[in-house]
Amino acid sequence: MSPEYSDQTKKKVEEVISHYPKKEAALLPVLHLTQREFGKISKEEEALVADFLNIKPIQVREAVTFYSMIHQKEMGKYHIQVCRNLSCTLMGAGTLIDYLKDKLNIEPGETTPDHKFSLSTVECLGACEQAPCMMVNFDYYGHLDKKKIDQILDDLE
Amino acid sequence: MSKEKTKMIHIQIDGKSLEVREGTSVLEAALQAGIEIPHLCYHPAFPSEGSCRMCLVEIEGRPDLELACSFPVKDGMKVSTQSEEVTKARKNMLEFLLAEHPLDCPICDKAGECKLQDYYEQYGFFESRFEEKKEKKEKKVEIGKTLLLDQERCILCTRCIRFLKEITGTRELGLFNRGVHTGVNIYEGNPVENNYSGNLVDICPVGAITDKDFRFQTRNWFLGSGPSICPLCGRGCNIDIEYHPGFPHFPVPKRVYRIGPRENHRVNGYWICDYGRYHYSYIDEDRQEQIVDNKKEKLDSWERVLDFLKERIKKLYYMNKTSRIAVLTSSWLSNEELFLIRKIFQEDLNVEKIFLTDPLPGEEDNLLLTPERSPNSKGASQMGLNFKELDLNKLAERTEVLLMFGSHITEHFATAQTQEAIGGIETKVLLNPHISDLNSLMDVVLPTCVIAEKEGTLTNVKGLVQPFSPVFEAKGHCRPEWEVLVNLAKKLALNFRYYSPFTSVKPIFKKMQKEIGFFGTKK
Ligand code: SF4
Ligand code: SF4
Ligand code: FES
Ligand code: FES
Repeated sequence: MSPEYSDQTKKKVEEVISHYPKKEAALLPVLHLTQREFGKISKEEEALVADFLNIKPIQVREAVTFYSMIHQKEMGKYHIQVCRNLSCTLMGAGTLIDYLKDKLNIEPGETTPDHKFSLSTVECLGACEQAPCMMVNFDYYGHLDKKKIDQILDDLE
Repeated sequence: MSKEKTKMIHIQIDGKSLEVREGTSVLEAALQAGIEIPHLCYHPAFPSEGSCRMCLVEIEGRPDLELACSFPVKDGMKVSTQSEEVTKARKNMLEFLLAEHPLDCPICDKAGECKLQDYYEQYGFFESRFEEKKEKKEKKVEIGKTLLLDQERCILCTRCIRFLKEITGTRELGLFNRGVHTGVNIYEGNPVENNYSGNLVDICPVGAITDKDFRFQTRNWFLGSGPSICPLCGRGCNIDIEYHPGFPHFPVPKRVYRIGPRENHRVNGYWICDYGRYHYSYIDEDRQEQIVDNKKEKLDSWERVLDFLKERIKKLYYMNKTSRIAVLTSSWLSNEELFLIRKIFQEDLNVEKIFLTDPLPGEEDNLLLTPERSPNSKGASQMGLNFKELDLNKLAERTEVLLMFGSHITEHFATAQTQEAIGGIETKVLLNPHISDLNSLMDVVLPTCVIAEKEGTLTNVKGLVQPFSPVFEAKGHCRPEWEVLVNLAKKLALNFRYYSPFTSVKPIFKKMQKEIGFFGTKK
């Protein structure tokens, strides 16, 4: 079954397309809107986006696989992205990543069976002054240690 | 194009002064002057991409090396393509390109014609500093009917992707993922499916896309190559035929191995279609190589057959009965051959029954392939031959001598039908490069040459008259039709002096230019 946008999203998609001289230029914002609605951009959503932008699904796939913020599989309710770049690694990100793997019992790139958490490792989050740091969905958490991670995760329902 | 676009400016490359068109890139200016700058992603058919970074050069006054493919020339510019810094940069770029490369040249079909290999020979020669494991990727992705993709060998120049975007518009290939995981692939098992897919093998600068039709058949350095014209449709694409020069004296399985495009911007640009590329079996397979003498009247040599034919024709001529001669021509014949048919049969002998038997039209596409499936339909239509509408009854009615060129009539009528119609004709001679069902219906079958074995000109659908010459020797006892026709004309001796200078194609062409307006106006 091919997905369909809700009326509200459809309106937004059409609006954002109208901002660009060429439909296909709206690809990234449309992908974000689409992901917000369906939680992922798999083959079906690719077809939907391609259709709206009048491009081929392969062009959508190129963008989807390039950008790490676009997911081909649905993420857990909370997407934890731990920085593993230089500053964070110097400040102990490695141990924290191992800690999270053990705690959630998943590898980076995986989602817990209850779909609550997904774990990813990412490159510099641009918050080196708070290293080591991570993002949970769109929120930043810095100066992390194991205790702080326990606390953050406990507070999430 | 505006006038300003064609303004000429002066630059220097490696101390050589050049006058170039404003707006060209440094790389194009160099290539035009015969100065080679290594490049992998640049292809003259597409806007430059600047992704391989092999083309770095030094430009006076610029702080860094610049990409020759993307840097436009400026008046007074001084470029150096061989400085120490440039060659060092090339070496460094090669090290990057090879860092993830599987280095499997010994088993790579492209070895010997791979630009990466060539550049390494010229500028590389470094010790590998790589200690990490290389990325494993797919080595055998079937991306099309005849195409295999090796993602490990791919250097991500995107030429293939740009070809499918800009030339065919079909976009079957894309670039997925990023960083070290980046790879070319098709989408969800949808293969490259268009009539130009074979060109991807030619434009891939490395061995990432290989052709199943050619793969592992031979090493490319064993092959010779000769320019020719594709006869499979009316476009007349300029091609190179690659063949084993040792055949048949060396124990190699075949003669022709591969057909490739030969650049000609008046006809086919850089490309040929898959139909023309992969149907080359007509050159070597099912060839008529010997004279077939079904009458068993010792008509077993060219000399005897032509004498026999001469006698038959002359008799009718002196009895004023040349209306009993029928000639079936085809636009697989060259301009010169059709011209000779016009001279001998239409003019000298006053034969009325001249027919054209061409292959049935096929589908055309929006790029090169035309519906006409023969190379000279335009030439045939301009030759001033009064073709009769093809009709078996008319053809056979009271006919005593039938001369047939090619066997395309089998595409128009069932063989049994043809047999019934022409069965009663006393003398039936077929000149054909191929073995066909008609052989058993004929008294004599004479083996003739394919385009690749003879000389002449062909007129493409656009009216362009293109010369071709033999790439290799004729098979068996095959002879070119023009030579057979000239010999026959000389034997008939109706106009001996006219035909006697025709010892090669050139004088025939000259006469044709003089006598037929269409050819006279062309070069
Ligand atoms: S497959 Fe060949 S043409 Fe395509 S990107 Fe790779 S190296 Fe370039
Ligand atoms: S377009 Fe016609 S002439 Fe050109 S390669 Fe194809 S068949 Fe041959
Ligand atoms: S290295 Fe982690 S935020 Fe910059
Ligand atoms: S040819 Fe200039 S960057 Fe590839």
